[in-house]
Amino acid sequence: MNATRPMVALFEYLDDLLRAIDNLKQRGIEIGDVHSPRFQEEIQAAMGVKRSPVRFFTLTGGILGILTGFGLSIYTAMQWHFIVSGKPPVPRVPYVIEAFEFCILFSVFLNLGGMLLLSRLPKHKLPKHYDTRFTEDRFGILLHCQEEERDEIGRLLSEAGAEEVNDLG
Amino acid sequence: MKALPDLTYRQINERIMAPMTPLTREYLAWLGMCLCGVLIGAGCWAYQIATGLGAAGINHPVMWGTYLINFVFWVGIAHSGTLISAILYLFGAPWRTPLARSAEAMTVFAVSIAGLFPFIHLGRVWIVYWILPYPNQRNLWPNFQSPLIFDVIAISTYLTVSLLFWYTGLIPDLAIIRDRIKGWKKKIYGFFALGWTGSHKQWRHYNLAYLLFAALATPLVVSVHSVVSWDFALGIAPGWHSTIFAPYFVAGAIHSGLAMVLTLLIPLRRLHKLEDIISIPILENVAKTIIFTGLIVAYSYLTEAFISWYSGNVAERGIFHWRAVGHYAPLFWLMVTCNTIVPLFLYFKKIRTSIVPLFIISILINIGMYYERYVIILSSPGHEFDPYSWSIFHGPSWVEYGILLGSFSLFFMLFLIFARVLPTVSMTELKEDMKSPRRASALSGNNGGGQ
Repeated sequence: MNATRPMVALFEYLDDLLRAIDNLKQRGIEIGDVHSPRFQEEIQAAMGVKRSPVRFFTLTGGILGILTGFGLSIYTAMQWHFIVSGKPPVPRVPYVIEAFEFCILFSVFLNLGGMLLLSRLPKHKLPKHYDTRFTEDRFGILLHCQEEERDEIGRLLSEAGAEEVNDLG
Repeated sequence: MKALPDLTYRQINERIMAPMTPLTREYLAWLGMCLCGVLIGAGCWAYQIATGLGAAGINHPVMWGTYLINFVFWVGIAHSGTLISAILYLFGAPWRTPLARSAEAMTVFAVSIAGLFPFIHLGRVWIVYWILPYPNQRNLWPNFQSPLIFDVIAISTYLTVSLLFWYTGLIPDLAIIRDRIKGWKKKIYGFFALGWTGSHKQWRHYNLAYLLFAALATPLVVSVHSVVSWDFALGIAPGWHSTIFAPYFVAGAIHSGLAMVLTLLIPLRRLHKLEDIISIPILENVAKTIIFTGLIVAYSYLTEAFISWYSGNVAERGIFHWRAVGHYAPLFWLMVTCNTIVPLFLYFKKIRTSIVPLFIISILINIGMYYERYVIILSSPGHEFDPYSWSIFHGPSWVEYGILLGSFSLFFMLFLIFARVLPTVSMTELKEDMKSPRRASALSGNNGGGQ
């Protein structure tokens, strides 16, 4: 099997980029990453990505938080069985507050942790193909192609309106 | 009038990063003044630790003096940051973008400062860890039914969540800065940018995580000031023991926080030359929200007074009568005037769209909200059921004044540092408010975010 070579194309305009994505997909060429200076719903739709699973991390955090809040409060109350303010030794209503706060706290921890994990962050080094203009005003497509596909893909990207097509091989 | 100007993506980066330039003398002078205030506050706290809590003006039965007033005041200030960044995000209000970053920073600094005051009030601050639930050889645990423990958990959660929410929003912006600067600063910004590249995979997870952050921060903000209000409402002192306290405190917190947003952003927009981004229509929207929160606060004041009369409870009637005509009467009427009457001037478009009146009103509301906490926290324990124990708080001691000065100085110092080292407006979100650059638009002369 031939080794693939990374190629990156830069676009000034969003509609050009979307056209390039469409063209590449129609030819069955696999796209690695699409970079943009901001979140673009159209890019997500063009790439056909599903909703992020980060929400399951958040939900897990919430459930763990509720269990921790109630668990900690009940466990500590059970150590001495004191009657405080005429309430039973394990009053349920006040412990809802601990459960709620822990629910939010753990949800947030797992939300952020899930986001970082799924995004493969943190990274100590930026990828070789990365261009600093991606955080300014340019869009970019990274793809890996076979040696014999290079010219055709380069032409396809230029026709779609790419400003630059760089072969990083 | 348009709230936001048409800017290209590059112009957004340049405009927002422009103030992150070498330090000016004026900036250093302001920073130096704040640092002096912080040192005075730290010195007063050190003096109090060395001599004991008697250095503060608190005494039985008014055991919660200005330290608790400051605590509630700063927690309140924090709230509008979350309102602007989280609640308005969920509602999709377009005018939040230029304000959100600074308001979030304000939240983080205000909660951090609020969190210092229980430490200061404890006296023996080095044993503060006793309040945390940790396994120990005596098997002693905090009482999880106590509103003070609710407070510890709620405030720590709020600080952690606000800080992480703020930081998460900063990640793409830190990457922008990383890509535009050189030298040792590039390494620092690069470290905190976590290797962000803006790929569609990263945006996909980031966008949902940010939305969930906002969704989680929204109930949290309501819960935190409710919990703070229960420090009082769960006590049986007349004037405190009221079910209205939670919504009343939350509305008051947002009222004071929005006023502080104006107090901070009106000078900031001028210093950073961001008048067209933090524009008059944006400030006008804040002013309109202040009218709304001011009306809720006014309604709460009236409800409190009505219920004290309607309840027929002698002690309740006594405290409300005393607040209005007794020792704290000047402060009570100052609070009523600043919090409920002054905001009504914002009904006039000419006033709410003029910078100077807006700035003055924001400061008056801050003063009013500080004295609201002063009246609530000091008057009730000083005028309980039995007249033999009635007492008044004779005003803060010089140590409390010093610590109050220190807290304000620390807040403004942190904000000044923030305004210099981080973008005060989210560049990424501002780009999201602009049209994306399209060839079709470029040909017709309206290029959106393109060059």
